Amino acid sequence: MEDSTPIPPTSPTDPAELYLVLLNEHERALAAYVHALVPDRLDAEDILQSCKLTMWKQFANFEPGSHFLAWARKIAFHQILNHRRGAKRKPLYSAEPAFLEAVAAEIDRVSDSLSDRSEALHECLRRLPENQRRLVLLRYYEDHDISAIARETQRTEAAVYKLLSRIRAALNDCVKSRLESSPA
Amino acid sequence: MNFHDHIDRSLDGQLSPEEWDALQRAVIGDPELCRDYVEKRWIHALLEAEGDTLPALLEEPQWVKPAPVIRPVAWLAAAAAVVFFGASIVLFVQGRPAPVVATLIEAENCRWAGSDLPTVEGAGLGAGTLALTEGMATIRFKSGATVTLEAPSVLEVESAMSCRLVEGSVVADVPESAHGFTIDTAKMEVIDLGTRFGVTTTPLGDSNVFVFEGEVKVNREDHPEAKHVFAGSSLVSKVGALPEPADQEVRRVEPPSSSSPGPGWTAVSTATGRGRDAYVRRGDAHGPTGDHPLLMVKHTDLAPNNERRALLSFDLAGVDRAALGSAKLVLKVEPSGLGFSSLVPDSRFAVYGLIDEAVAAWKETDLTWEAAGPLVEETLSTNIATRLADFEIRKGSPNGFVEVSSDAFVDFLRSRPDEIVSLILVRETGESDQQGLVHAFASKEHPTAPAPTLWLQTPDVQ
Repeated sequence: MEDSTPIPPTSPTDPAELYLVLLNEHERALAAYVHALVPDRLDAEDILQSCKLTMWKQFANFEPGSHFLAWARKIAFHQILNHRRGAKRKPLYSAEPAFLEAVAAEIDRVSDSLSDRSEALHECLRRLPENQRRLVLLRYYEDHDISAIARETQRTEAAVYKLLSRIRAALNDCVKSRLESSPA
Repeated sequence: MNFHDHIDRSLDGQLSPEEWDALQRAVIGDPELCRDYVEKRWIHALLEAEGDTLPALLEEPQWVKPAPVIRPVAWLAAAAAVVFFGASIVLFVQGRPAPVVATLIEAENCRWAGSDLPTVEGAGLGAGTLALTEGMATIRFKSGATVTLEAPSVLEVESAMSCRLVEGSVVADVPESAHGFTIDTAKMEVIDLGTRFGVTTTPLGDSNVFVFEGEVKVNREDHPEAKHVFAGSSLVSKVGALPEPADQEVRRVEPPSSSSPGPGWTAVSTATGRGRDAYVRRGDAHGPTGDHPLLMVKHTDLAPNNERRALLSFDLAGVDRAALGSAKLVLKVEPSGLGFSSLVPDSRFAVYGLIDEAVAAWKETDLTWEAAGPLVEETLSTNIATRLADFEIRKGSPNGFVEVSSDAFVDFLRSRPDEIVSLILVRETGESDQQGLVHAFASKEHPTAPAPTLWLQTPDVQ
């Protein structure tokens, strides 16, 4: 069934609906926050999952009208610390609490400039040349590591690593220049 | 030491643990380095967080106009509606007009993304791309060939006689009028010689063709000679040593909220306490499956060794079950990467509760079909199990949540004396060809999707 009738934009009163609306609005930013703090991608996804469940359980404590993302980040930060303590599997890099605090404080400080980057990144990704897009897909969609990508693309690991850092630097420059040129 | 270079290397796992510790200490003590770390890490984090949507973003052809901006509130309300009412959203981007070469004749439970062709039933299709994220869609080409597309798939319609499967699965039914109909993939070109056949391909180009009836000719990039494949056979073309397609599917992040009924309910998953989950497959080709991320379930009369059943145990210690008001079992349906949806009907599953304590005490580490005894008898004995509820997964339905409940289910949970309750999940419907879909549900080992969960409504939790 296709639903072609537009749904009237009423403000939701049901807590579940309100939660979903807020989660939808801030989900990307929250996901980036967790991925920025947690070096292991699978750990980050686990944490994000349990974070959303905890947020829903504690949603009664959220004051409507206050800053949802700030509230969500606080919960996420706790989940990250908890996960670190309870981790069954040791990831390649585990982050120390003092390090997490320093990074989280810096993210909070520049949070406004970071939150606009996601949209700009989409534009910048579309401008990448074909071979670089392919590398981005292998690394971030297929989640292959450097050695797997090296085999797949018949390059050396050092070359793959160099290319990936160049792509990220180019994306960063592109994102920043787009944000500077658009009115704040 | 150049810590700025360390940052980049840390993003790709190129630092030794010692170098990583040194980087952490340096970031703590140096605000400027910390700024640089956050800046570089953020781009990487956005790419990781949006990994799933990258193909749609990157594969969108340049000439397609961006989708009209949907007002955020309307979109959010619509998104909420999807979760609450299961309605589907159809997004499409108007493309250039092109001569019509095919018609979209059927679209079941479909959700589309990044398509530049119209996606409403009955629409005429010119050359262009269809990207199906959920459901099943059937296209009839002007030549008479019909192609059924199973999500997630991306198909490029080229002409009345050809199309290209970028990724995903299709089943083609080709009448005599359309002999020579061609499906192209990155690795092979499949030319019909009067058949019904299926083709799958991964985003990297690993391709498989299965012939159900008749014969096809396959040209492969890396083989000079064409290969003929006949009914009942398949041909696989792999790119290097890459993971199985199933591995690419386990990366979907879903808000668990759609399964949370709200305050007053407690969740107990198979990951809680002494909970367990596993599946068994006749023949035990893969040994015990207790640590597998998917619980696979299948019933077939055509290939007995593909029969699979799943077992779930929940640790209900501490739950006041006498006062249980209501209960439901929530499972997250995941793509198994095995078989075609087109070859199974709407599928009915039954949930049985185990009432024999000895049988219910199966272990994740050594449970096999061979050792499962009464658990794998064709008809479960009423001495060991009671049928509690059933549910249906419709053909081509999205990979969402299923919720199962019944009075018998609540009674069973109330009355079982043991702290651990065990359930067995059986598919009751079969398949029309042995390449039929294997259904899968996330297990507690799944990296992103929620584990099988029992939601219990008890009055003391407010």
